[in-house]
Amino acid sequence: MEILTSLGLGFSVAVQPLHLALLLFGCFAGTLIGAMPGLGPVNGVAILIPLTFAFGFDATASLILLSAVYFGCMYGGRISSILLNIPGDEPAVMTTLDGYPMAQKGQAANALAISGVASFVGATVAIVGLTLFAPLLARAAIYFGPADYFALYVMAFATIGGLAGVDPRKTLLSALIGLMIATIGLDPATGIPRYTGGSFDLYDGIDPIVALVGLFAISELMFLLEKTIKDRDTAIKLDTWIPDLKVVFGTGWATVRGSVVGFVAGVLPGAGASLGAVMSYSIEKQVSNKNGSFGKGDPKGVAAPEAGNNSASAGALIPMLSLGVPGSGTTAVMLAMLISLNVQPGPLLFERQPDLVWGLVASLYMANVMLLVLNLPLIGLFTRLMAVPTWALMPLVVAISFIGVYSISNSTFDLYIMIAFGVLGYVLRKLDITLVPLVLGLLLGADMENNLRRALSISGGDYGVLIASWISIALYIATAAFLALSVWLALRDKKRAADAS
Amino acid sequence: MSIRLAGVAIFLVAALYAWTAQDYTASFGDVLGPSVFPVMVGIPAMALALSLVVFPGGSVSWPSGPRLLRQAMALAALIAYALLLEPLGFPLATAAVIAAVAMVLDGPAIKSVLIGIAGSLSLWVLFDQLLGLPIDFLGTLFGG
Repeated sequence: MEILTSLGLGFSVAVQPLHLALLLFGCFAGTLIGAMPGLGPVNGVAILIPLTFAFGFDATASLILLSAVYFGCMYGGRISSILLNIPGDEPAVMTTLDGYPMAQKGQAANALAISGVASFVGATVAIVGLTLFAPLLARAAIYFGPADYFALYVMAFATIGGLAGVDPRKTLLSALIGLMIATIGLDPATGIPRYTGGSFDLYDGIDPIVALVGLFAISELMFLLEKTIKDRDTAIKLDTWIPDLKVVFGTGWATVRGSVVGFVAGVLPGAGASLGAVMSYSIEKQVSNKNGSFGKGDPKGVAAPEAGNNSASAGALIPMLSLGVPGSGTTAVMLAMLISLNVQPGPLLFERQPDLVWGLVASLYMANVMLLVLNLPLIGLFTRLMAVPTWALMPLVVAISFIGVYSISNSTFDLYIMIAFGVLGYVLRKLDITLVPLVLGLLLGADMENNLRRALSISGGDYGVLIASWISIALYIATAAFLALSVWLALRDKKRAADAS
Repeated sequence: MSIRLAGVAIFLVAALYAWTAQDYTASFGDVLGPSVFPVMVGIPAMALALSLVVFPGGSVSWPSGPRLLRQAMALAALIAYALLLEPLGFPLATAAVIAAVAMVLDGPAIKSVLIGIAGSLSLWVLFDQLLGLPIDFLGTLFGG
């Protein structure tokens, strides 16, 4: 009952004209950003954050806009996967496996419709999960003390890189680099300037938003310049958008399985949408690949990963909202925006700003319906817009990033910081060091230090307080288990690669 | 090799970071002080970087000469933009950076310039006229 009342409040927030307009714009822009090769949810959302500041939106409106873009990207990513065989964003990689072969067989309309419906079901399952579980998790998290939060942050840094075959040392290093950058500026407790090199511009520290735009938008430009720019890939033409309903509904169970698997992957810290898509595809393959049709255009191979990545991306909002610890790269970027607007996600958010939390949840229900409507009949429009060449698109993206960053403080100093982070991001990505832990370190560093401070001042300087509660002990054990598992997986992959060569 | 070099670089930065932290002292109040947390971060970073030097993982292929040149040109355009934004004013500098980046991305020259002009004017209208951000039309060079 309580949840229904909260949802009612949410819908009353969500139907305000400004919020509705932002929702519709976000869904449209998100689908487009997701469909453009090279632009995905992380850089799309990062670029839009300074703009929401420029427009002067409050936290609720900004969060609604960014979530709509985030969801839209998840829908849009599949369009270029299916028609171009180029994933629009990372989670859409799995969709190319069966989506493109389907399109080659002349079933592009079916593939697009299946992925659209699967996205809808996946996201809906996850939003219902968000509605039910996020408040519960928030209620449990109220019992967390400072030492427990410190342990939670340690766990977040250790796990955010995910299990997907990356060297765990590089992930941890990335988080530590982020924490180092976070300590630049005046120490909040003692007022001593740290690592500023005497520059007053650095006394406030590095604005995470400026760093983010550099890390994601500028480094993407560098990556683009490194690749050969081929003549435009020719997209498979779409004669009709009207799908064969029998084929679409034949994938029902694959969609349901994908949604559930994706949701679990999304809620787990650090997994995010990519892992959700990979896991749902491989599980579906084991369940229904009876005659080896997977990889050759099996509709179920389109439905499962699409349901999975949409469900995971909504699931990733749960730890972000209720613990303040994001479950994926894009939610980390959204967290940066909330912190910049002085909204601290976490258990208290549900009590202090129910209109923000529930307004967001209600908006997500509505965004999902809007996206389904946008993505079925209007699919032809998106496929045409997708054909804008990269050389025309990327410079505009760069210009928008610059204006957005400049508008935050009206200083060119931030522009240099942004460019520097762009180069740093490019080099780290080349070294296979993922940027998401770095962002998380940069965002949560101050809070982590504060919680350590609080814990130690309660105990009078005794470090034993850090492992004095069962919550923190459990979190450290989970962290250790996760790290052991990822080291084991990394070693196994290495051995396999050695065997294969 | 690149991984080893990066490991060395990160090790040195982390060592300098942890070393510098020792100088941060506050005589009052706080139990933790300003130096403990940076040391807690710096030392594991040193250890991990060192492990990358000893056991490097993965390999890196850097872009070849012409590509590297393109990247350098794009970076130069971005830095020039940051330098020239205030002297030249928003529309002129933005049109130039859009056109430059488009050309580095192999866009045809005339079309790139046209996109630069169109893009910069529409962004100026959006940000200055509609949103009321204080962006000067003419820069300090022209007395704007």
